[in-house]
Amino acid sequence: MKNSTVRMKHKTAVLVLSAGLIATSSARIKMVALPERGSTDIRLDHPQATLIEEERILTLQQGINQVDFSWKGVNIDSDSIRLMVLGSEHDVTLLNVSYPPNEQALVWEISSPTAKEQNVRISYLLSYIDRLVTYKLVANPSETHVDLNSFLVLRNFSGEDFENARILLDYGEAFERGIQHEETKQMLFLKVGEIPIEKIWTFDAALLPWDPEKENGNVGIPVSYKIANTKANGLGRFALNSGKVRVYQNDGSGGTIVLGEDRIERVPVGEEMEVYIGESRDIVVTQKKMNEKKINLRKNNKGEMVLYDTDELITATLENFKDSPALLTLIQHIEGQWDMAECNMEYELVDASTLKFEIELPANGKKEFKMHYHRRNIHDDRLLSTFHQSRF
Amino acid sequence: MRRIIQLWALAAVTSAFAKVDLAIIPTRDTVQLTIYNSADMTLVREQRALTLRKGMNTLQFSWENTLIDPTSLEMLPKANADQIDVLDLVYPPRVKNLGLWNVNSRISGKSPVEISYLTSGLSWRAFYMGTLSPDETQLQLQGYVRITNNSGEDYENAETRLIVGKVHMIDEIAALARREHPYGSPVPIPRSAGRPKMKAVTLMMRVGEPSYDMELKKMKKQGLSEYFLYTIEGTETIPNGWSKRLPSFDTAEIPVMNLYKFDEERYGKQVRRFLSFDNDKAHKLGDTPIPGGSMRIYQSTGEEAHLSFQGQSSFKYIPVGEKVELDLGRVENVRVEPKRMKYETANHRYHHKGNLSGYDIRQNVTVEVRNTRPVPIKIEIKRTFDSEYWTLEKSGDFGTFEQDDKHTVTFTLELPPASTKTFSYQLTTYHGDNQEGK
Repeated sequence: MKNSTVRMKHKTAVLVLSAGLIATSSARIKMVALPERGSTDIRLDHPQATLIEEERILTLQQGINQVDFSWKGVNIDSDSIRLMVLGSEHDVTLLNVSYPPNEQALVWEISSPTAKEQNVRISYLLSYIDRLVTYKLVANPSETHVDLNSFLVLRNFSGEDFENARILLDYGEAFERGIQHEETKQMLFLKVGEIPIEKIWTFDAALLPWDPEKENGNVGIPVSYKIANTKANGLGRFALNSGKVRVYQNDGSGGTIVLGEDRIERVPVGEEMEVYIGESRDIVVTQKKMNEKKINLRKNNKGEMVLYDTDELITATLENFKDSPALLTLIQHIEGQWDMAECNMEYELVDASTLKFEIELPANGKKEFKMHYHRRNIHDDRLLSTFHQSRF
Repeated sequence: MRRIIQLWALAAVTSAFAKVDLAIIPTRDTVQLTIYNSADMTLVREQRALTLRKGMNTLQFSWENTLIDPTSLEMLPKANADQIDVLDLVYPPRVKNLGLWNVNSRISGKSPVEISYLTSGLSWRAFYMGTLSPDETQLQLQGYVRITNNSGEDYENAETRLIVGKVHMIDEIAALARREHPYGSPVPIPRSAGRPKMKAVTLMMRVGEPSYDMELKKMKKQGLSEYFLYTIEGTETIPNGWSKRLPSFDTAEIPVMNLYKFDEERYGKQVRRFLSFDNDKAHKLGDTPIPGGSMRIYQSTGEEAHLSFQGQSSFKYIPVGEKVELDLGRVENVRVEPKRMKYETANHRYHHKGNLSGYDIRQNVTVEVRNTRPVPIKIEIKRTFDSEYWTLEKSGDFGTFEQDDKHTVTFTLELPPASTKTFSYQLTTYHGDNQEGK
């Protein structure tokens, strides 16, 4: 440094702030004050960037003042640095900002009509300090409700020690904490009890084997909890951040077991999170294709087939070996142009080729699923715009 | 090297990091292990009585050469919960394997807390022994679990619980435990992560007086969510490197069916033997699902309870009410021989250029089934055809018949001891234009 500087008290000594009196950039020499770091905010509302806001008191002389802000050993986005003059008197003016050569620094030129103590706020984006959000859910034994705890995990690898700071997320109360370089802190910031959940089992015919008996291992049916981020559920005040969720269950004798873990995406207010906890081996789906025949053949003059339908029959045995009922979501896929001839259960079209069935399986019971449909097949080179190739 | 977990209470001081007035917390009151087998994971819960002071207290929990997942650490007050606030959990810089809880207490004195965390290094598996009666109609089924401790630490008098079921995990506990920083670091190129010195969980657990059980232990079984929780009666001591076999259940005289299967598509030309029963009350089972595991099958020879080894099988998890089919492997004493006796094409059709546009294939097949065993058997014979367009005409003693899927059928026959049955079918498959309307 060309001028005299004052090191802050941090162990890693990274942030240096000095004020000069003489308005020549080559001779920034005379220190007028030691600007103490006032209150500091660590704002973590943006998932990818952390904004530091610190307040300092500058002892300004009458006329032009130079304030030198430099850093070392930390990663500050220099274009993000802002200086805000605080207070109601609008007589102190930031005239310009200049960057000295070959330094991680900038110089503010500030004019003041009088000599005074001036509060300013310096804001900048600091790298390698961030936050994670984690969740712990504890389900009751009957799996109708969960208690939710959400933790803010602050990771400081920025190079800077913060003696004391207000740590803010986009919601919830601020934490007053210090955090050192390379320190990680886990803080509980959201605790909501008795949130109703929906437990669902999902069999997707495109993802799971059709005949579990022929598999070497068990075929597990994925099990998820659905939790709505709504006021009625004690949530719904803000979006829930993405993060890892660990799900436990009260074992009925004072302890817990781990049910599983998943990572959730951000859940806006009013929407649901789906937490995949594990696999059920007490719900068994055995699916078969019982028929696949060509019908309605159409031939050209040469006797070549140009158009036909396939008559297809899918059956599935849906068994619930649990002693409680289960809501099974059955996903079936029929590609291309098709029409349903007969189906013994109601479905909802997710898209042109995906059918979703919500099926209540009674305790220790089973249901037979039947889906009889026709699929159109076009055999023509000029018209070969199949389902997958055609854009939409 | 001694592998230890320590818990220290730091008395109320102005700075959390000024470690003054260290006092070791008394030994754990109870320890409970919940061991998973679908993931290398054990949930450890221990109870301790803390002596808290009014105001801020800092508790230091440290571990060495263990595979504890630091992100899973949790402390819960078990009494006076409204008087004790766990403010945060701090992983101080440049110290490994250490967590500090800042606790604000509005009471002073002893208060019980529960500390829980996930660790790796313990495992369990189920295995079975089956003993068939001399007439092969009944099976004695003995289930065991084997718990293995490769954690590097001796476990003494821990309540041991086992979880049957497949949990969904997105991270390996051992990998979380090996991280340089508990929650990782946002710095893109982290400093070189040191490898752990030991590869196992290490815990020191001493609870109460050792117990000497004279009775055979029982296993309590309880369904939770999609899993089953087995709780072993009392406590267990499993020294490092040792495994322990514990009986899970023992059920005699389960009626079983000797089932044989012939399925060329799946098993080739040899018949396979299965032992079949249901996990239900009629078969003296059905209280709980049966976890998957290997099984050795013996047969009692009747004479002085001598045994003969029949085969080895493994089975998957069997839900309550589900059918069990134990595959004992290929056998030579039951044979199935399908023979094609006739092959012909028929009903030829031609299109306008004179080329063949359709035809039928007719095949006459005779199946001979021989049971050379001195016991009655049941056999399932599966046949898979090349085409979805087929018709079948059956004759002879073909037992029961059903269509399996679009091109597979099953004949199920029962044969008395040392007997032969023969049946025939004519298979017509339709090709080209002859498929129309079939």
